[in-house]
Amino acid sequence: MFKNKFKLSLSKKQSKVESDRDGNEPKENMIPSATNSFIQAIKDATHNPSDLIVKSIPPNLTLIFIENLVDERTLNDHILNDLYKKPSESPELMKSLLSIPLLNISNLLDDALSSMMTGTVIIHIDGYSQVVLANIATRETRSLSAPENESQVIGSQVGFNESLSTNVSLVRRYIMNPDLCIEKTKIGKRTNTSVSLLFMKGIASEEMVNTLRQRINSIDIDAIIDSAALAEMIDDNSLSIFPQMLLTERTDKFCDGLMNGKLGVLVDGSSMAIICPQSFIEFFQSREDQNLRWQIASFLRILRFSAIFLSVYLTPLYVAALTFHYEVIPQAFLVPLSESRALVPFPPVFEALLLEFIIELLREAGARLPTKIGQTIGIVGGIVIGTAAVQAGITSNILIIIIALSALASFTSPSYMMGNVIRIIRFPIIILAGFWGFYGIMLAFCFILIHLLRQSSLGTPYTAPFYPPRLKDWRDSIIRAPFSYTSKRPTSSRPVDDEKSNPEPVNPEKS
Amino acid sequence: MKNPLQLSPKDTINAFLLFFVIHSSQVGVGIHGFQRFVYHDAKHDAWISVLLIGIVSHIIVIFMIKTLEMYDSNDLYGIHQDVFGKWIGNFLNGIYILYCSTAFFAVLRNYMEVINAWVFPNLNPWFLSATLLLIVMYAFLSGLRVIVGIAFFSVVFSFWLYPLLIFPLEFSSSSSFYPILESDIISILKGAQSMTFTIIGFEILNVIYPFVKDKENVKKHVHLGLLATTVIYLAIILVSLAYYSEGELARTIWATLTLFSIVRFPFIERFEFIAINFWMLIIIPNLCLYIWAAYRGTIRLVKISAKKFVWIFSIIIFIFTIVIQTRTQINMINTQFGKVAFYIVFVYPIFLYVVAALKKKLTSQKEQKE
Repeated sequence: MFKNKFKLSLSKKQSKVESDRDGNEPKENMIPSATNSFIQAIKDATHNPSDLIVKSIPPNLTLIFIENLVDERTLNDHILNDLYKKPSESPELMKSLLSIPLLNISNLLDDALSSMMTGTVIIHIDGYSQVVLANIATRETRSLSAPENESQVIGSQVGFNESLSTNVSLVRRYIMNPDLCIEKTKIGKRTNTSVSLLFMKGIASEEMVNTLRQRINSIDIDAIIDSAALAEMIDDNSLSIFPQMLLTERTDKFCDGLMNGKLGVLVDGSSMAIICPQSFIEFFQSREDQNLRWQIASFLRILRFSAIFLSVYLTPLYVAALTFHYEVIPQAFLVPLSESRALVPFPPVFEALLLEFIIELLREAGARLPTKIGQTIGIVGGIVIGTAAVQAGITSNILIIIIALSALASFTSPSYMMGNVIRIIRFPIIILAGFWGFYGIMLAFCFILIHLLRQSSLGTPYTAPFYPPRLKDWRDSIIRAPFSYTSKRPTSSRPVDDEKSNPEPVNPEKS
Repeated sequence: MKNPLQLSPKDTINAFLLFFVIHSSQVGVGIHGFQRFVYHDAKHDAWISVLLIGIVSHIIVIFMIKTLEMYDSNDLYGIHQDVFGKWIGNFLNGIYILYCSTAFFAVLRNYMEVINAWVFPNLNPWFLSATLLLIVMYAFLSGLRVIVGIAFFSVVFSFWLYPLLIFPLEFSSSSSFYPILESDIISILKGAQSMTFTIIGFEILNVIYPFVKDKENVKKHVHLGLLATTVIYLAIILVSLAYYSEGELARTIWATLTLFSIVRFPFIERFEFIAINFWMLIIIPNLCLYIWAAYRGTIRLVKISAKKFVWIFSIIIFIFTIVIQTRTQINMINTQFGKVAFYIVFVYPIFLYVVAALKKKLTSQKEQKE
C-alpha cells in the first residue's frame, strides 16, 4: 500500500518535472539576450572545461570558443582585429563585416554548442538573442603519406589520412567533376562523427545509393570511431567471416571504385575508406593491376589466386595425406617425408596446428610491436623457433616449408581484411583434414562455396562475375584483359551508364 | 490455367544456366560404375547403347519442353493437377515426389558406399550421411539461386577430371571394339535401358522450367547440357572398353574409379582418392536439385515451410541410409529404381504430352463451340 503510494507520488513528480521541462525547453534552447546569462548557459552546458575561452570586447561583444579547436591566426587577423576596429551593432551587420567565409547566425543554444565543438567562435552581442557563428576550425591532421598497409610499386603513393576534409579534397583532385556527389551525415549520438557518402551521379545506381543511405542513417549507436566498424554494421551479412565491403586507404583505388559505379563512404577520423558493392574476387585485385601491362597484370592476378588457394588448402592437404592417404604420395617423395617425420612424436594435425599457432603468434606480435623490434621478432621467430623446433624434433622440416609457404601466400591478398579471413579460415579446415582426411577438406570446400554463394554485397551477388555468369566481366576478373577489351564498366555494380571508353583503337595506324 | 506459379524476378535464372543444371543433375554416382551394367547386356558394343540412350534423352526432352510450353509458367506438379484433376493429379504428384526422394536417397547411399569402399572403410555411415545432409540442408535453405550456383561451380570445377581419362589410354587397345555390332539389337537396347540410373537427372527440367527467365533459349541450353553428358559418358565407355580386357569389365563394380587409379603425376599417385572425395562437389548439386524438386511438389500437397520440410526429409533419409547397409541391398535398390525411373523419365513424358495435347485440343474445341 505504502509502496504503491510512494510510486504514485514519484511518478507524479516525474511527470511534473517532465512537463516543466517541456514547457521550458524552447526557452532553454533559445540564446539568452543578456551576456551574463548567456555565458552561464554555455558554461553549464559544457561543464566549464579548462580550454573554454570567454573573451569580452568592450562595449558589448563576447567571444566564446574552445582554445584547441580554432585557428589562432585567423582569430587574431580576421576576427579580433576587425571587431576592435569597428564595433558592430547587430548580428546581421557583423556578418557582413567579418572576412570569414563560413559565417552563420543562429538563435539556438544547441546549434551554437555543437558548432563550437567543431571549432567555431560564438560571437554574442549584448541584448540580442542571436549569435554569430564564425567557423575558423583548425584541422590537426597528419600530413599525407604513402598507404602503409596497401603498398604498391607502380602508381600513386598517396593514401587517405584521418581528416575527412583532406580525404574529400583528395578525391576531388582525382575526379574533377560536378557529378561527384558528397552527402554528409552525422552518426554516433555522443561522438557526432561526420560520415560522407560519395558516389558519381549518372554512373552509380540510384537504388543502391538509397539502400546504402538508408543503412547508414538507420544506425543507432553511441560512437563511431573507425570506418571498419561502420563497414561491419552496414554489411549485408555482418555474421559472415567474409567482409562484403572493401576497406582501403588508397585514394586511387577509392576513386577507381567510384568511377566504376561503386559507392564510397568516408568517416571522419578514419584513414580507411569503405567501397561497396564489392564481390569476392575483387578483394584479390590490386589497383596496381591497372598500371602494369595486361600480360603481367594477368600473371600476377593468377599468381595471387593460386596463392590464396595454396594458403588455404596446402596445410590441410599435407595433414590429410599424412594422416589417412599415404597412398597418394609417390614413393620417391614418401621416403624423405617419413624420414623428416620419423622423430616427431605428434600426429600431423597437432603438429600443423602447433606450427600455425606459432606463425600466428609471430604475426600478431609483429603487428603489435614497434617497427624496429618487429623485425627482430621476425628473425627470432624464423631462425630460433623454426630451426630449433625441427632440431628438437617437434615438427618436420617439410611442414615448416609448407606452413611458411602458406603464411607467405596469405600476405599476397591486397586487402588486409581478406588476408585475415584467409589465415583464420585455415584452422577449421586443418582440423577437419586431421579428422576425416580429404573428405573433411571437401566438406569445408563445399561449405565455403555455398556460404560464398549465399552472400551479397549491397544486394549484388558476392560471387559475381562468375555466378551469376557475366561473361563480359570475366575479362577483368582472374585476368586483366587489355583496356580495349574492357570498355564497359562491370555490371556487378549496376551502373547507369556502362560505357567506360570508346572501344575504337586510339592509334589509327594500328587498324 | 490452374495454379500458375507466382515468381519474383529474384527467383528466376538465366536459360544459360540450364546447361549446368541439366549436366550436373545427370552426372552423379551412376558414372562411377555404369560400364558393368551396359557391358553385361551389350558386351563390347556397349558404346552404341550409350550413344543410343543419349539420343533418346534428347528426344524425350523435346517432348518435355513441348508439354511445358503448353503451360507457360507452371511446373510438372501444376500440369498434373490441371490435366488429371485434383485427385489423380495429386496422386501422380505424390509418386513424383517419392521418385525424387528415392533418387536423392540412391545418390546419397551410393556415394556413401563408394567412400566407405575406397577411402574410409571404417568411417561410420551415419557420419557420412549426416555431414552430407547438413551441407545439402544449408544449400537448400539458401534458395534456388544458390542451388543453381552450386551446380554451376560443380561443373566448372570438376571439368578438369575428364581429361585425366587420357592416362588409361596408354594401356588400351582399340582392337577390343571389333567386330562392331556383334551383339544383337535387343541386347543393345537392353544395355541402353540399363543406363537409366546413370543418365537420368534431366527430368529436373519439369520442375525448374517456370523459373527460367528467357524461355526461348531453354531448348538450346538443355540440349547442350544433354550433349555434354552424352559425350562424357561415351568417352568413358570407349576408354573403359579399350582399357579393360574381355570380361574384366563385367566384374569391376566401379570401373570409372578404377580408371582413375591409373592416373599418376610426379607428385601424386592413386588419383582415385582425390577424385572420389572431390566427387562430393558433383554429388551436392545432384542432391540439392532432387530435394528442391521434392519440395516444390510437397508444397502443392501440404502447406509446409522449407525449414520444416528439409528437417523431416533429411531425418527420414538419414534413417534409411543407416538401415540399408549391404552391397546387395544397394545394388537391388539401384536396379529396381533404374527400372522404375526408366518408365517415369523415358516413357511417361511422351504419355503426358499426348494427354495434355489432347486435353488442350478438346478444351479449345469446347471454347470454339461456345
